[in-house]
Amino acid sequence: MLLEARDLWKSFGGRPALRGVELSIKDKGIVSLLGPNGAGKSTFMKIAAGILRPERGSILVMGRDPRDPEARSLIAYCPQEPGLFDELNSWDNLMFYARLYSLPEQKAREKARILLEELGILDHASKPVGKLSGGMRKKLGLAIAMLAEPPLYLLDEPTTGMDPGSRRDVWRILREIKADGGAVLLATHYMDEADELSDTVYIMDKGRIVASGKPEKLKERYGPPSVVEIMFRRVPSQSSVEDALRGLEHTWSEGKLRVSVERPEKVVPRLVEQLYSLGADIGSVRIVKPTLEDVFLKLTGRRLETSEEK
Amino acid sequence: MRRSRIKAFLVASTKSFFKDKGSVFWVIAWPIILVLMSAYVFIPPSAGSPMTMKLGIVNHDASRSPFNGSSLISVLSNVKYNGTRLFEIKVYKAEEDMLADLDKGKLDAGIIIPSGFGRNLTLGTALLKAYVGGKSIYSIQVNRGILESFLCGFAREIGLRKANIALNYISGAPSNWTHPSQFNATFKEFVYRFMVGLVEPINTTLVEKAPKALTERPRILGWYVLGAVGMMMLYSGFSLGATAIVEEKEKGRLERILSTPSTPADLLAGKMLSGLLILLLSSIVIILSGLAVQAEVRWNPLRPADLLVLLHFLLLGVMTISMGFLLSLVSKTTKGAGNLAVGLGLLLSFTAGIWFPKEWMPGALRMLADVFPPTWSLDAIRDIVVYRVGIGDVALLTVESLAATLILFLLGVEAYRRVIRRYVEA
Repeated sequence: MLLEARDLWKSFGGRPALRGVELSIKDKGIVSLLGPNGAGKSTFMKIAAGILRPERGSILVMGRDPRDPEARSLIAYCPQEPGLFDELNSWDNLMFYARLYSLPEQKAREKARILLEELGILDHASKPVGKLSGGMRKKLGLAIAMLAEPPLYLLDEPTTGMDPGSRRDVWRILREIKADGGAVLLATHYMDEADELSDTVYIMDKGRIVASGKPEKLKERYGPPSVVEIMFRRVPSQSSVEDALRGLEHTWSEGKLRVSVERPEKVVPRLVEQLYSLGADIGSVRIVKPTLEDVFLKLTGRRLETSEEK
Repeated sequence: MRRSRIKAFLVASTKSFFKDKGSVFWVIAWPIILVLMSAYVFIPPSAGSPMTMKLGIVNHDASRSPFNGSSLISVLSNVKYNGTRLFEIKVYKAEEDMLADLDKGKLDAGIIIPSGFGRNLTLGTALLKAYVGGKSIYSIQVNRGILESFLCGFAREIGLRKANIALNYISGAPSNWTHPSQFNATFKEFVYRFMVGLVEPINTTLVEKAPKALTERPRILGWYVLGAVGMMMLYSGFSLGATAIVEEKEKGRLERILSTPSTPADLLAGKMLSGLLILLLSSIVIILSGLAVQAEVRWNPLRPADLLVLLHFLLLGVMTISMGFLLSLVSKTTKGAGNLAVGLGLLLSFTAGIWFPKEWMPGALRMLADVFPPTWSLDAIRDIVVYRVGIGDVALLTVESLAATLILFLLGVEAYRRVIRRYVEA
């Protein structure tokens, strides 16, 4: 077992952050911890990295307490803030962490070059990292985690603030880690990221794991059979549309209406007719598969995005 | 504790420190500015030479005596002390003009030679009027001392000449003169000795014996160069210790560092070594800048006492960084810690015998200097490289400094542990 957390509890100033969290990673692969900001993901990651102590429960990294330096040599933790020396360049930052892992200098330099090249930072590697973009800093943070090639990676929101291209780069790297036999615990609030990358997803809300399993299984179990996605060119008034949708589980996102339905062939014609009668100008209607967003909505009654805003 | 981890902190912290312009200003530029100001403002190249008084003279004497007002002016113009002219003379026609210049501070003193000065000097007692000026009570005191000393010496010389002249008018002993039992001398010799005694009842042998370190400019500069090193060590050492953890936390590195196999002890050792290296490099630069302005800082690695200087530099560094760790207990941000460290460091530099000699301080501050351990080590360094004392003379200071360093280090480590626990529960 690479990581095993049992009944973890943690609070800050009396405010619970973790409430009986159970999580395990048995083998290589990518495990996502999906939840909105404030769900307790980072607290869990810090406990797994040996930085915080749980108040109750136990956590073991490959059978060891994560506060044991031996256990910490088996993990690479990449926090949300990449933890860089802004005045130093990328090489110096990588070599700093390489020395903390006691990696041989020459091997570390070679590995650093490969990582910088793979992540597209090599051309900027001589600049002070304080002058790099947020996305590049995040990538460098990830490169640092990958230097030591540990069996387990703890990555806390590694793609937050990145442009879509950089996110794709990171996803590619994570898949490579998995292919090389590494295990990744990925804390994210991006539903698509968890959906795209994960072998297993733990959905977390308000300090609890509310569901876990393979993404497809979760969608099968908690998601609706189908989702109707309607794009509007013009919406008459949201309140009148809401009247038409009464009794149907639905969300609005970026001008799109997503409606969970049991039997789309029955619901869609009626719904489209109603919307037209209200004066809506519909651009497209698609029947799509449910996503983890729908699972989160089902389990918590809130959308991930809305939860973050809160 | 692994060497590679300590090296990681040592290299990264030192490089990062020297890439920050603000830090470089405080550890390199500011001490060099202090050294240059010492060399060219506080202790200018003229320092170490005797002073020359600006003396105004109004001469009303037109007598034809062998020694008159003009003769006095000539003597005053030529008198020297250690090769330097003692007076720079400006002759005034009107008394009011000279007094006006004294009021304006353009003169240090003024003499009015009255009419008949030469005649009275030859025949009896000559009158002189002297004004003493100055820009402070200290300079008035010095000016008065110099002028009085000159005039007394001059009067004595005149007296002796007059005694010699008077001797020519003595032809023989009176009939009732008896030979005094104390002297085996003739009547003429007796009278001569008696008259000399009237002119100069006490002949004092005055020997100048001041410490050379305080009288020669290169050594004074050497003293201040070490003061600049001490000042830099104080505020930089405090700052390095005070910001060691809070900066790592603020920059988001602390958690990541402590999630690696490195331990708080590695971080402490790395930070301490990096701090000592920064202080050492800065000290070398300051001392080199001091040598460039001809400060005398003597160090001979073959002289056993001089090796203690290295020890005291180390102790001074460990003491100030440890005191910085203690300051970190009350600092929650890097900016706050830095400000507190620099403010306190500068304050203590000026009050605890680091920059100004403690002998200049009022009683309470002298006491502070006496109980402030970094001053002990700096005193030992100054004793060795400026006063050239031997091991025996600094042995006690060395033992005291060692003990103080150990205590401060242990307190600093405890403070460091508490600060780490504030942020990380590892």
